[in-house]
Amino acid sequence: MTRRTCGVAVVAVAALLASAACSSPYSDTSGAKAGTGTRTIGPVEGCGKSSWTDPADLAPDRAPARCEPLAPSAQPLARKRKITIATGTLSAEYVAPLEAAVDKGEFKAEGLDVTLKVLPTPDALPLLAKGDIDALWAAPEAAVMNGIKGGFDIKWVAGNFSPGPGSKSGLWVRTKEGETAARVEMAGRTLGTMIGKGSVIAYPMQKALARHHGGLDEIQYRQLGSADVLTALQNGGVDSAWLLDPVWRKVDGKPGYAFLGGQPAGEPLGGLLYGPTLLHDDVDAGVALLRAYIRTVNTFFVSDYKKDAAFVAYLSKLLKIDKAVLEATPSLRMDWEIRKGTTTRLQAAYRAQGATQGSAVPVSRTVDRTLYEEAVGHVP
Amino acid sequence: MTTITPRRDAVLVRRPGPEELDPVRTHRRRRALELSLAAAVPLALLLLWQLAATQGWIDDRVYPAPSTILADGWDRAAAGDLWPDVWATLKRVLAGYALGTAAGYALGLLMGSLPLVRAAFEPLLDALYVVPKLALLPVFLNMFGLGEGPQVALVAATVFFFVWISTMSAVIAVPSGHRDAGRVFGASPWQMFRHVLLPASLPSVLVGARIAAGVAVLVIVASEQIAATNGLGHLIFDSRALFQNDVMFVGIVCVAVLGVLFSELVRLAGRLLTPWAPKDRGRGQS
Repeated sequence: MTRRTCGVAVVAVAALLASAACSSPYSDTSGAKAGTGTRTIGPVEGCGKSSWTDPADLAPDRAPARCEPLAPSAQPLARKRKITIATGTLSAEYVAPLEAAVDKGEFKAEGLDVTLKVLPTPDALPLLAKGDIDALWAAPEAAVMNGIKGGFDIKWVAGNFSPGPGSKSGLWVRTKEGETAARVEMAGRTLGTMIGKGSVIAYPMQKALARHHGGLDEIQYRQLGSADVLTALQNGGVDSAWLLDPVWRKVDGKPGYAFLGGQPAGEPLGGLLYGPTLLHDDVDAGVALLRAYIRTVNTFFVSDYKKDAAFVAYLSKLLKIDKAVLEATPSLRMDWEIRKGTTTRLQAAYRAQGATQGSAVPVSRTVDRTLYEEAVGHVP
Repeated sequence: MTTITPRRDAVLVRRPGPEELDPVRTHRRRRALELSLAAAVPLALLLLWQLAATQGWIDDRVYPAPSTILADGWDRAAAGDLWPDVWATLKRVLAGYALGTAAGYALGLLMGSLPLVRAAFEPLLDALYVVPKLALLPVFLNMFGLGEGPQVALVAATVFFFVWISTMSAVIAVPSGHRDAGRVFGASPWQMFRHVLLPASLPSVLVGARIAAGVAVLVIVASEQIAATNGLGHLIFDSRALFQNDVMFVGIVCVAVLGVLFSELVRLAGRLLTPWAPKDRGRGQS
């Protein structure tokens, strides 16, 4: 028995060692296919010069790209496609263009049957890479970068928004005696956030901390529930906190609190991420999805969309957010474009935070602007 | 009266087996077989996992191969990145376990010995026992703030109930004859505790304590996900959120090892403390 067992074990180990020489078919699928490089791009009616801006333009007051309302017009696909988009939430203002596109039939007009599925990004990533879901409405977080580094073929193909003028969603601090918003010592302080390590807010946080003698590796994080962040800041449980819309309103203008900075104006940090299905296997559907999204932005989210009380009421119902909460904060600046170098800057922040290791993933593996450019008829 | 003499060929003759002929050798062989099985089954599963990952039967980006996990764990341990998390979890578990065991044992003794105390506290504690302990974390956060307090309190609350119930039932189950004998010999309350209740109840208490050891590790891992900035639970869920699956599995393996070691330590302590108790034969031991 002992001899036989040993024999079986030796054979198993030998088979294992032999198999180890073969690499896994999953190991690296990025860049395996031709992608969107060979497609013909023609002019699109209603999308002129203003429908594209230079990605290198990082000016905070840059006007986001826009076409005329109802443009680009729908180009229904010959065959109807079922598309599943994962999103972390359905009750946030930044998801509004996507939900409005479903509600107003913009996706349907393109021949797309879109289903929105609530799924956290780490859970959605393997499904996106496998093609079980088609797109992810999220952000190029550290998890996405780690997935791409591990061989996932996922790219950021469209932006979502940048904060509107007047927004103070971002890093707030309880000032000590003698400190002002212009001069706060952040090194060694605690920071409460409901968003964990490796989120895109690491980048604006790094910028704000750098201005105030701190760094991502010099502060102590306290991850708290959404209801606890403000309470912890107010009762001294944490020295600073990343406050989201509309929570920052509670401390805005009150003595003892200072706003140190938020997401950079004019630079979206999230949006649509595509997996191999829409990047390679069905590029037509990928472009159609973006066309519908862009049309929705051009038609309903042009500039200060919250000026229209009826539209705010519509959004309130659509997103299941209280109308007063929506009205408490300025309109987001919806923006489908992706700025140059954003993923590089994000990765630098993730590294400083210890959320990623090693060299940064090159932009060629993280961003693909060609799909939205095709949707608005811009020839690179 | 007749006498029936059984036929010789109808008599059942049982020859001595190897157990009777050479009991020591048989026991040794049996023990060796059990140990081999205990090692071979997990090893075979690990080999299968390794094979599945390298052959691409499973996605090794989502389920990294054991060799990858081992290499990553080794690197993290060698670089000193792993130990702070292991130590943080261990400290919380040990502190909470000590508090919970002491409180559970004291109250279990009291409630087992004094019916009035039992009548006063049992309904309340029964109600609290069924509350998922993790649901108490927000309460502990409010009570103890953001430091170590909530984590330790959560482990203590979890352990308390296991030890309390096993102690109380063990004390109640002490035969009345044992107590009567103590009284006949004029035992003081301390002597009654030292020479009657403690030896009679300790084996059952230690069984409860051993179950609590495993549950303590389970609870702390869940709790560290929610309200901690370090520890193995934080490592697991943080690396999951960052899609660092190899690190996540390193954390899971560490938790499993920690749980087994802690539980075995409590079992060993039980054997040393209660030599009079029936031998706890443990897993598959002949």
